[in-house]
Amino acid sequence: MSTNSMSTQHTLTIQTGLEVVAVERLLQVTRYRGFQLCGLEMKPMADNNGLLVTLNILSDKPISLLTAQLNKLYDVQHLELHAPAAAVLRA
Amino acid sequence: MTGAELVIKLLTEHGVESIFGYPGGAIMPIYDALYQSPVKHYLCRHEQGGAFSAIGFARASGKTGVCMATSGPGATNLITSLADALLDSVPVVAITGQVSQAVAGTDAFQEVDVLGLSLTVTKHSFLVKNVNDLADTLRQAFVLAQSGRPGPVLVDIPKDVQLAQVEYVVPRSLAAVETSQAAMPLQQLQLARELIASAKKPIAYIGGGVHMAGALTELNDFLQTTGMPSVTTLKAMGSVDKSNPYYLSMLGMHGTQAANIAVQQTDLLICLGARFDDRVTGNLQKFAPEAKVIHIDIDPAELNKLRRADCAMLGDLRALLPQMAVATNCADWQQYCLNLKLQHGWRYDHPGERIYAPLLLKQLSERMPDNSVVSCDVGQHQMWVAQHMSFNTPRNHLSSGGLGTMGFGLPAAIGAKISRPNDTSIVVSGDGSFMMNVQELATIKRFRLPVKIVVIDNQRLGMVKQWQQLFFNGRYSETDLSDNPDFVSLAAAFAIPGHSISRKDEVADALDAMFTWPGPYLLHVRIDETDNVWPLVPPGAANHDMMTDLPQWED
Repeated sequence: MSTNSMSTQHTLTIQTGLEVVAVERLLQVTRYRGFQLCGLEMKPMADNNGLLVTLNILSDKPISLLTAQLNKLYDVQHLELHAPAAAVLRA
Repeated sequence: MTGAELVIKLLTEHGVESIFGYPGGAIMPIYDALYQSPVKHYLCRHEQGGAFSAIGFARASGKTGVCMATSGPGATNLITSLADALLDSVPVVAITGQVSQAVAGTDAFQEVDVLGLSLTVTKHSFLVKNVNDLADTLRQAFVLAQSGRPGPVLVDIPKDVQLAQVEYVVPRSLAAVETSQAAMPLQQLQLARELIASAKKPIAYIGGGVHMAGALTELNDFLQTTGMPSVTTLKAMGSVDKSNPYYLSMLGMHGTQAANIAVQQTDLLICLGARFDDRVTGNLQKFAPEAKVIHIDIDPAELNKLRRADCAMLGDLRALLPQMAVATNCADWQQYCLNLKLQHGWRYDHPGERIYAPLLLKQLSERMPDNSVVSCDVGQHQMWVAQHMSFNTPRNHLSSGGLGTMGFGLPAAIGAKISRPNDTSIVVSGDGSFMMNVQELATIKRFRLPVKIVVIDNQRLGMVKQWQQLFFNGRYSETDLSDNPDFVSLAAAFAIPGHSISRKDEVADALDAMFTWPGPYLLHVRIDETDNVWPLVPPGAANHDMMTDLPQWED
């Protein structure tokens, strides 16, 4: 996949298991697949049956390369990609 | 029963008859439960060897391989093998003992964060904190290991969980894991049929996913109907019927010239259960530059990961391939590919008396019993095996493809022999790789496993040496292995007979002696240190820019 000097910020909301390791997996995959994390929020879901994690990702690669990998994680229950923010110049 | 007894009960529930492992403090309750159980445990001499044997068992049989280790160093020794299983999509369940939860997180003796270590080398991993979760967790591990794209799953069980009392409950139905049947992608199938029907130079690029999907019959029917030429990855060797005239063998860095030239010229590349690995594509930007791409895989993350597909389909190859089997109009292309095969066939008329490894392996391939399983290690000999041996199913060719792990071959052959006791198990190793898990000779001795071992010895770390010769100005840094042990004497120390040869005229008799001997046997083969693997696509080059050897002999 070609890359360019423009990076795009994406927001992902992910429902995952309650275990800390579920969040570790999200972060490990994000790092290993070469995406930059610029924001992380998490809170228990309303039914306390999992965590709702919001990741802000900066990337010059198609975000689908990350979402496809995250969706494979066994403890990811749901993943939603929100419309990207305006393109920003790579830092 | 105890948690440890439940582990053994669940293994039997899953039909597990053979496991590989090594005991230690934190897994002693499970080993106690194993004592006099119906599950046969194969004591390996290193946890890495045990896990590679589980991989060999799984790859040769299609079943899930199971290995066990204790906490700390036992578990860390599994890591390389789990990474190997992940990259080659091998279903393995690894069970590790862990320190009791009362001392967990205190840097206790033989405590290491196995769950943390496992994150990057497993499909999934579990830490069982409550004995009441143990049964469901293990059942889920077996489902996960085999489902979708197979892979290794680790279950870490603290000692107090192993010792806790629990009641065995018959299994309830598990939550579906990647088992939903994807709807048939009708629009994409129609597009695929149109692309195939209109292609002038189509070619099928076949990966290990085809046989793992149980789709070899559908594949060969597809190739027969369409008449299109085909190439395979290292993992898919043996997928295409030997009688298919348009099969061009392996593509990529050490693929055949015919395969690489054809793929570079194709106008339609049909990628089936493969992943555009860098050893296959060479310079990705220059790979199959004129081709439209149809890509089918069970793993959605592989579609459009490295090469954008004109037609991407997620699903079961057994269902999809018959839907794509339409006639083609590519007679000129077929003839061109036949000519490529003729023009670039292998030559075995190597001058001199020294043994030429490609010829040796061709002779081995011709003389080995039907349905033999060949395990290799990693390096020059591995590529020579892929180039010069012939297989009738990928289950008969065990090679560490994705991770490229030296030390794979010997323990993998042990696992293969245990999974298929009626078939011959052969290791082809190099002098570098063989020493990486040489302790597993003790496993062969202990269980009297009639594994045939061929060590191809150039007294060098051959593939690295070849690259130093070609790309590092002949600066042979740390690749001299001329202080190797006497391999025949080494085998003899494990009650394994052997023989050493160095001349071509000794090969036939030596191979016959090895196969005639009823037990394990080591054949040590000295070759010239200057022999290299050809052809070779240099780093950064396109696959049609192959290097070939300077001719050592002329017509």
